[in-house]
Amino acid sequence: MSDEHPAGGEEEFREEEASLVRITLGPVVWMAHFIVSYAATAVVCAKLSTDELVWLRMGIAAATLLALGTIAWLGRRSWRQWRHGNEDIWEDPAATSEDRHQFLGHAALLLAVISFIGVIYTALPALFAATCR
Amino acid sequence: MQRRAGTTTLAAPVRRVAPLALILLAACDGPQSALSPGGEDAIQLGWLFWVMLAGSVVLWLFINGLFFLVTRRHPHPMSRKLAEGTIVAGGIGLPLVVLTSLLAYGLSIMPHQREPGDGLRLRVTGEEWWWRVEYWPEGATEPVVSANEVRLPVGQRSDLELHAADVIHSFWLPGIAGKTDMIPGRVNHISMEPVEAGTFRGQCAEFCGLSHALMAFQAVTMEPADFDGWLAAEAEGISENARQAEGHAIFQEQGCGACHALRGTEARGEVGPDLTHVGGRGTLAAGVLPMTAEALADWIAHPEAFKPGVEMPGYNHMDEAELLTLATWLEGLK
Ligand code: HEC
Ligand SMILES: [Cu+2]
Repeated sequence: MSDEHPAGGEEEFREEEASLVRITLGPVVWMAHFIVSYAATAVVCAKLSTDELVWLRMGIAAATLLALGTIAWLGRRSWRQWRHGNEDIWEDPAATSEDRHQFLGHAALLLAVISFIGVIYTALPALFAATCR
Repeated sequence: MQRRAGTTTLAAPVRRVAPLALILLAACDGPQSALSPGGEDAIQLGWLFWVMLAGSVVLWLFINGLFFLVTRRHPHPMSRKLAEGTIVAGGIGLPLVVLTSLLAYGLSIMPHQREPGDGLRLRVTGEEWWWRVEYWPEGATEPVVSANEVRLPVGQRSDLELHAADVIHSFWLPGIAGKTDMIPGRVNHISMEPVEAGTFRGQCAEFCGLSHALMAFQAVTMEPADFDGWLAAEAEGISENARQAEGHAIFQEQGCGACHALRGTEARGEVGPDLTHVGGRGTLAAGVLPMTAEALADWIAHPEAFKPGVEMPGYNHMDEAELLTLATWLEGLK
């Protein structure tokens, strides 16, 4: 039966659990970056002076690079998971453990792509606006 | 014959649509139009609109051209590779490029809308359903108080500090600049730089209660020298002549001063608009009526008839002659 995982059910379950967590990781990084950027800006603009904006913007730049790096790494991993052993097959329709595994990689990759774009869009205002007004 | 029939069927809709298009185009002009800008920021926003419009037209033609191509001109199956390439490039790549450039362009002009002013500061407070306006020239220790009209010098950037007294309002003067909300407990900023002298119309743009649609104002942009002259006059109290006039006696007798201020007299009410130079405004009751003695008399007798829910009582108990004397006197307070 092609449905059998080589290392048995328990092992497969653990692996796919990790895959499921990875699927959410892209959007989670995006969310964290979003919250940190907006909260930090609100606090700096409300409580500190405009002079601190340089630091805020540098901080957002650093957070952005970190977020993008994490998401890129995740995307690369997901790509591998999806493409592993498939030369020319782009779909994983079968109810087999291999197809399920690759499908999760595919989904994680797409979410990583959109999170990557989301992080850039979140950071763009900080690039252009050097004021709290 | 056939050809003629063809041309008439084509011309009929055009004939029907043309007047409509003209009417719509005519609406693009006027004192409250973002498309006939009289301020730096409005020019920038207008330009943004045209860029986006042109872009949309190009996109529309492109997409519909493609539709036409694949359904009429070339209705054959595509290779899978080409089809998927089209989906990825046209469905993900192209929107990404277009949206990112638009976002970057929009963000790049946004700080300009809030640039610090050159000195003059206005403090505008939205109230149900009128505008409290204070002018703070550079170095001023107390403001020049006015209402329901905004005057701005041409060629200078003025700072507008926006407040709200009761509910959320929105200050919108499309001919000069953009729109910014007025939120109770918060101070918002917008700055404006008119480029030509003229008269514009602003409007509250956030639903704020019964008479929200009747909460408008006139904005007058003036050459700096004219503006300085006007502001100096606006800072004065009412004249000695006006103080002695019969209209003033009626004003006092009716107790209008409990809600309205008349600088230079005992009237110091702050519930309603400052009336020291009410006759000098272009409109009455926040853009609702013309500034004439007749309109003033109607307003004082039945403000509720012009603004549902208004926080001013009607004075329809006053006799006709007295009312007109009061109205004429108010109209004369320039
Ligand atoms: C209870 C308070 C109150 C009293 C008393 C009152 N008013 Fe008013 N009045 C207001 C308020 C509030 C407004 C603003 C209404 C609006 O536009 O929503 C107003 C608006 C006006 C305006 C229009 C001002 C402008 O900028 O266009 C005039 C003129 C006016 N009142 C005259 C009078 C006169 C004259 C009396 C006395 C006969 C009087 N009011 C008594 C509260 C009052
Ligand atoms: Cu309103």
